[in-house]
Amino acid sequence: MAFRWSRWSPQLALLPAGVVTLVAFIGAILWTVYLSLTRSRRLPEYEIDWSEWGRQYQRLFNDDAWMISLQNLIVLGLGSALAIVFGFILAAMIDREKRGESLFRTVFLYPLAISLIVTGAAWRWIFNPELGAEHFIHSLGLTWVNASWLARPETAMYGVILASVWQSAGFYMALMLAGLKSINSEIWSAARLDGVGLFRLYTEIIIPMMKFTFVTCAILLSLGVIKAYDVIVAMTNGGPGQSTYVPAYFTIQALSAKGNLGFASAAAVLMLVITAIIFLPLVLLTAWQQRRAQGAMR
Amino acid sequence: MTDLTASQKALGAEIAVHSAPYFPRRKKVITGRSIAVLVFLAICALFFCIPLYVVIVTSFKTMDQIREGAMFALPNIWTLEAWDHAWNSACSGTRCEGLKVGFWNSVAILIPSLILSIGLSIVTGYALALWNVKWAGTFLFILFICAFVPFQIIMFPLISMTATLKVYGSIWGVALIHAVLAMPVLTLIFRNYYKDIPQEIMSAAIMDSGSFWKIFFEIILPMSGNILIVVLILQITSVWNDYLIGVTFGGMGAQPMTVNLANLITISTGTVRYNDNMAAALLTAIPPLVIYFIVGKLFVQGITAGAIKG
Repeated sequence: MAFRWSRWSPQLALLPAGVVTLVAFIGAILWTVYLSLTRSRRLPEYEIDWSEWGRQYQRLFNDDAWMISLQNLIVLGLGSALAIVFGFILAAMIDREKRGESLFRTVFLYPLAISLIVTGAAWRWIFNPELGAEHFIHSLGLTWVNASWLARPETAMYGVILASVWQSAGFYMALMLAGLKSINSEIWSAARLDGVGLFRLYTEIIIPMMKFTFVTCAILLSLGVIKAYDVIVAMTNGGPGQSTYVPAYFTIQALSAKGNLGFASAAAVLMLVITAIIFLPLVLLTAWQQRRAQGAMR
Repeated sequence: MTDLTASQKALGAEIAVHSAPYFPRRKKVITGRSIAVLVFLAICALFFCIPLYVVIVTSFKTMDQIREGAMFALPNIWTLEAWDHAWNSACSGTRCEGLKVGFWNSVAILIPSLILSIGLSIVTGYALALWNVKWAGTFLFILFICAFVPFQIIMFPLISMTATLKVYGSIWGVALIHAVLAMPVLTLIFRNYYKDIPQEIMSAAIMDSGSFWKIFFEIILPMSGNILIVVLILQITSVWNDYLIGVTFGGMGAQPMTVNLANLITISTGTVRYNDNMAAALLTAIPPLVIYFIVGKLFVQGITAGAIKG
């Protein structure tokens, strides 16, 4: 009897996690996909009119706010990519100049520990149109500077980007630092012997060696950008107007404020599709790495 | 990266760090440009500190001084009035009982969600890493995908399910959803930690006592101290800093602190008391910041992979 139990208990131990995966992830995704094909409004309806199953998706692409959301997604993605660049520069400098490493790391990483709502609150205050940084800059005599970015539709997204970069640059710095530290010391001395300049050393040797770190950072960044919600709520609440809508915000707004379940589900499905497109390279990358690791073992 | 949870970051970081080329550490090189580099780094550090500085000084100012508009000036009179307001009487929606309500809600959410999520994922990770189970590879792959699924796609079904289970709008509902959403990532982290335990130890342990649970409690758990602390810090910060789950599943009665803070700062009616807002923001940020400054190394390890091991 004891033997049988020991044989079955590993499988039984996996049961809760298996159920969670099956119900809360796979089941829930299928449920939402199904709902996106129905005409559900505030409450779910389960009848599909097959002659126009795509009507929620059609409505979505005729919706201005959704198109703004998609545009902003790209803007936010490109803007936040600065965090990777900035993170790499910081990491390279810290790695070359070992002095003060732990101090700088602590300072650059602390924004990561706090909630994005707090980050948003702080930057919202700095961008305050009447009493914020603009007032200070103007009082220095630089009255032509416009620093109340969040108050104007054209610049509000840049404010969000600045806060995101501030929040996440330290994270990429830490990843890049780990990557840099694992580069062979002989490469640095060989490059010095050959008289390779610092700029060429980085652009032609170091960065290509770290390409997988960069690729993973880029994928993580994209996945984070799709999920961007907290920072929008805290900084702009989608405004002014709808100028800072992003898909994550749009979807939740469609569900909670407009109470339009079918529509929100369609938007959520498209979010999943975008995620899948970004995610695919990551899956291939890890698969490739596993094969490489196995090859190295042999 | 804008909105990944801490645990998702950890997983991603693990991938990034593993994909870096692996060589021994290089030696310290001192260059002549040291000073320029240090000055640049110091300026960057200053930029990183500005928001924190502004938030701190604002929270100690009186509204009269704030209206003068000198954002970067130190307070004329240092006062704790705003802190008192934020804690005891700031309004979140229609209730004006301050952030203390949200604070205790956050604490009440944190404890069960930690127990549930770590309990569930440590056992799953252990079973997947060290025992021969069917479909282990497939299951891991599915978990890996689940780890990055956007929340919106499972949001409505989860609301329905928690409503059916009668936990929607309660502390338990929020804690349960935290546990469910953290499960894939934490399982992968535990599994990656356990998979390096040599097969000989497991064979010997199976010969000796045999039972799945006995090996877990007597051998595996005692050697999991490091990874448990890393995961604990990761999970505490990500649950504490969460907004989306709290606002979706907290209903009216179980809103965590971040939700109260967001309500407070987005209020658009009446005169806005910026010093209260900033004190409230600091109150929300203090717990994770304290953890970060005390055990920063472990926090960083959690974020950049508890995985740079051996």
